[in-house]
Amino acid sequence: MSRTGMLLIAFSALLATAAWAGETLSRVKRTQVLQDVLVDDYPPFGFIDNHNQLAGFDVDVAQAVARRLGVKLKLSTPGWETISAGHWHGRWDICICSMSPTQDRARVLDFPAQYYLSPAVLVVHTRDNRIRSIADISGKRVGVGTGSSYESYLHRTLQIPGGQPITYPFHDVVIIPGDETVNFRNLALGPGVRLDAIVSDLATARGQIRAANALRIVSGILYSEPNVIATDKGDPEWNSTVAGVIGQLKADGTLAAISKKWLDADITHDER
Amino acid sequence: MSVEARFGPQRHFARNVGLTWIVLLSALACLLYPLHLDLGYAWQKLPYLVGLHLAPDGFLQGAVLSLFVTACSMVLALLVALPTALGRMSANPVARGIATFYASVFRGTPLLVQVLFIYLALPQVGIILGGLTSGILALSLNYGAYLAETIRVGVMSVPQGQREAALALGLPRWRVSWKIVMPQALRLIIPPAGAQFVSMLKDSSLVSVMGLWELNFLAQSYARASYHYMEMLISAAAIYWLMSICFELVQARLERRFGRGADPFGAIHN
Repeated sequence: MSRTGMLLIAFSALLATAAWAGETLSRVKRTQVLQDVLVDDYPPFGFIDNHNQLAGFDVDVAQAVARRLGVKLKLSTPGWETISAGHWHGRWDICICSMSPTQDRARVLDFPAQYYLSPAVLVVHTRDNRIRSIADISGKRVGVGTGSSYESYLHRTLQIPGGQPITYPFHDVVIIPGDETVNFRNLALGPGVRLDAIVSDLATARGQIRAANALRIVSGILYSEPNVIATDKGDPEWNSTVAGVIGQLKADGTLAAISKKWLDADITHDER
Repeated sequence: MSVEARFGPQRHFARNVGLTWIVLLSALACLLYPLHLDLGYAWQKLPYLVGLHLAPDGFLQGAVLSLFVTACSMVLALLVALPTALGRMSANPVARGIATFYASVFRGTPLLVQVLFIYLALPQVGIILGGLTSGILALSLNYGAYLAETIRVGVMSVPQGQREAALALGLPRWRVSWKIVMPQALRLIIPPAGAQFVSMLKDSSLVSVMGLWELNFLAQSYARASYHYMEMLISAAAIYWLMSICFELVQARLERRFGRGADPFGAIHN
């Protein structure tokens, strides 16, 4: 998951305060409620289903975490920028929201646990016969979500904390940042009409390909990006509680089962 | 002027305006036809978009929530605008300063920035407001600043002689304002104020950044989850449009009411 509000980063950078140690943990214990934030428009991880309820991989993981903690789960869906800007001031306890860890985000948020890996892929129009591998995007117009890690990848500046070094077999890409849904619609207009290709995560690409039926994925996985659970900065006790719960859910197969339910594959397995 | 001269042409006029609307509406429908919209999907989501059910958190959602936010903000904006307008016209330099400063800040910065500032920056000084409160506060403060200018212009446009004459007749000050100045000012205030409320209805979609499940939020969310992008955008647009039309009808009624005696042809414009 992969959007950033530069504005909000600026806001939050202005005022850097940290939660008191132990504050979140004691609030969750006191209220017996886990306030989780997630994204409402990122199927199959978080979306509003046919019964107008929040559903998806992230919702099931949140439910498993709340069950394990023995508390009630309360979900909210504020804008991505308001989540990733940090400084939650007790509004929310946890973000199980497909966030990828970046250095900017690490300044205002803690990442107590990694819970799945999302592969990045290259998508082109089915009629495209010019782009056969990632090396062929040199000089082409490539769409990415604004502020996403895919944008950094095309800028050749992506760093994954603790991850494999990434290779960039392309140069002079014309990067077109924008809304991912709009990007996919533009690519479906035809090869090179508005875009030549898109870099996005595999699950998003698959959903869009099913919907548009005019797109395809080119050659394998570009790199794998960790997705982490985020908490407000500065409560180590809460962080170790969360890390412990995720460890248990991995060990007893709960995460793997949730992953198979939503993605037909276990994307939670790989350890950092 | 004869009754026929006033009402005869008006009936034809209104009919012809209506016919023109029907032609344009059909043209719009023809434009949308080639998009191959999945109307079944739009129909299935309509009750949620309109807000006939409560959201999972037990609060209002959809268009009903948009209307709720707009209605609360309208009332608050009026409450903010009146003293601001008085301040703008005040001879007291501090009152004038406060009113002009407030109006300048809130008219001179983007509404989205104000929404986010209230939601994200106020907690830094210990004021933690919910999404709904923040949204209503931002909309009220923003539109209050515009409305204050509208009210000021309306009041200033009433000739000074009206007030002087009323005072000379020995009417008390509050009665002069209430019975002489206000009705004449309202005639000029209502059209632009109505336009501002229509635009506020649409700006209420900005509160979606704080996770309120209002009309625009649901439309975007359904659109992305189901890949029925155009269906949801057009449905939301249609609902906003219908609500705006209702606002405009109310505004037209008010305009007619306060336009009595000022402009004999005023009614024809409707």
